Amino acid sequence: MTPAVADVQTPSEREGTRPEQQSCGDRVPILTTHALTKQFGSIRAVDGLDIQVCRGDIFGFLGPNGAGKTTVIRLALGLIHPTSGYSEVCGHRVPGELQSALRHVGGFVDDPTFYPLMSARRNLRLMGSMTGPVTEERIDEVLEIVGLSERAESRVGGFSHGMKQRLGIAQALLHSPELIVLDEPTSGLDPRGMKDVRELIRELGAAGTTVFLSSHLLHEVEQVCTRAVIINRGKVVVQGPVSELRPQSDAVKVLTEDQGKAADTLRAQFGAGSVLEDEGFLIVQAGEDAVPEMVRRLVADGVAVRAVVPAPEQGLEDFFLELTGTDGDRPAPKKRRAGLARLLPGGRR
Amino acid sequence: MSTAAGPSAAHGSTGPRMRGHAWGALRREWIKLLYQRRSYLIWGGAVVVPFLIALALYLAGADPHGGEGPLFLQNVTSNGMYVALAALSALLPFLLPLAAAMVAGYMIAGEAELGTLRIVLLRPVRRGSFILSKWVMAIIYLAVGLVLMLASGLLFGAVFFGLRPMITLSGSTVSVWHGLGLIVLCCLYGLAAMACIVSLALLFSAISDSSLTALIATIVIYIVVQVLIAFSYFDWLRPWVFPNYFLDYINFFRDPIYWTPILKGLASFGVWSFGLTFVAYVLFRRKDVLS
Repeated sequence: MTPAVADVQTPSEREGTRPEQQSCGDRVPILTTHALTKQFGSIRAVDGLDIQVCRGDIFGFLGPNGAGKTTVIRLALGLIHPTSGYSEVCGHRVPGELQSALRHVGGFVDDPTFYPLMSARRNLRLMGSMTGPVTEERIDEVLEIVGLSERAESRVGGFSHGMKQRLGIAQALLHSPELIVLDEPTSGLDPRGMKDVRELIRELGAAGTTVFLSSHLLHEVEQVCTRAVIINRGKVVVQGPVSELRPQSDAVKVLTEDQGKAADTLRAQFGAGSVLEDEGFLIVQAGEDAVPEMVRRLVADGVAVRAVVPAPEQGLEDFFLELTGTDGDRPAPKKRRAGLARLLPGGRR
Repeated sequence: MSTAAGPSAAHGSTGPRMRGHAWGALRREWIKLLYQRRSYLIWGGAVVVPFLIALALYLAGADPHGGEGPLFLQNVTSNGMYVALAALSALLPFLLPLAAAMVAGYMIAGEAELGTLRIVLLRPVRRGSFILSKWVMAIIYLAVGLVLMLASGLLFGAVFFGLRPMITLSGSTVSVWHGLGLIVLCCLYGLAAMACIVSLALLFSAISDSSLTALIATIVIYIVVQVLIAFSYFDWLRPWVFPNYFLDYINFFRDPIYWTPILKGLASFGVWSFGLTFVAYVLFRRKDVLS
């Protein structure tokens, strides 16, 4: 995995406190969770989560598998009930004022699914009528936006996964909601489709729509989002502007033509425990100030240096791995209970 | 995708609420039913059974079973009016409950299986009105089935045997139109009986994510109750369980109509339907939708 960063503590672990919420400043919060907690049997899928999405944000929601991302979305949109805590969506408390909140929200959780024997248009008509009046012109418009105009009258049962993803986005856009929640919207799309979706999200953001984007594609979040939160084990690890989400450690990534010889040189300089390997890079625990001397010694030893990336220049991926690498392989919470307990609603026995 | 993705103010989420929420919900459920192939299979069965009864009796001649078989079967060859009643008698003990359990069992669990439940519940739909619209639509669906059965029974009864004034169980004779009214009352009673099955299936549908589980659970409970009340040891149970009253619609064919068992049956159906649907609502309201 990532030995160089595996031992790095998360900010919250270092400080021993929950990360403070980022203030929206002059902007209004559109989605806020307050100590949101969800327990599935013995597993605490979401643990006192406090996140804040501000109006106009394109908000990235990141976390390793099993971190609780989808559970948080389900909680925020009232599909499941919190064990404790609550959410506020567009000024309405969830679950208490769920219908009022959902009137301002569009989106999907997990893979978007539709009635297979109905056409794309009829599905949109059916879904749209649940929120309010929707005109045929608007249906045409959203189908055009997601590039499904030519398949408007085709049965959804014959759609590919990517086409269903596009239709999911179309139904989310139908009523031009203030908040759009997209759970892995580029999953199953080809590179062209992924690019289109990213452009669409940017344009929605530019038009003032708040987008809550759950994704495991870090570069996607990096390219599209203005703010992001990283969660792990159902807790906020860090949240803030994407531009500020960079590794806080002093690790420097080094790539040379002879990594073995370079490792020997650097261990001699910084100590054996300060140099580790990760995905072809040498990870050196050294400050940015040490880089010139590091390069000079490598060159002096006849090692051709290809790349040196100090911590501040490393991307979101490195930061994500630094924060979540130690425990990202936790199994997902159980969704099914055994025996008769399955016949009872979750968490309320 | 087009790059012209800006939201249109004309469709803002602050727009007026949909008028006629109840009709809107029922219309959506009706459309969903029409887009399921199984819906037509059951309706087809409702048309075919009276035809088969009429055809079989026409081909076999008078009184083919020596008085055996469903209620009113022995009267069919003398009067086509009895075809619909015989079909109702044949369907009510098992096939109609099976259809009711299948339709209602699929209503919520089927959507969970399909994955549409989570999409639907992300819309501003109250779970209470959602489950109520499901219940109403299951009843409407069965009502359509009974109307088809009635129409088919009358049509094929007329074709094979002709429609004549009916003789009641008390021996009096009633006109064709009077008889038709009594047959409609019998069908409505049968529909009320099916409301209990619908409610039971909807309860299982609400708490399970498998329509097959909901169907099987409903049918198993129905059969177990039927078996239990067949034994005299469990006579004390009879007044409390709704299947005990299923065949009491024959009392419409007494002259005068013997209302006491009919009203008892309707009261039992009402209490069970309301109780089971209420429990389904309470459980579904608190259900975590994880499907």
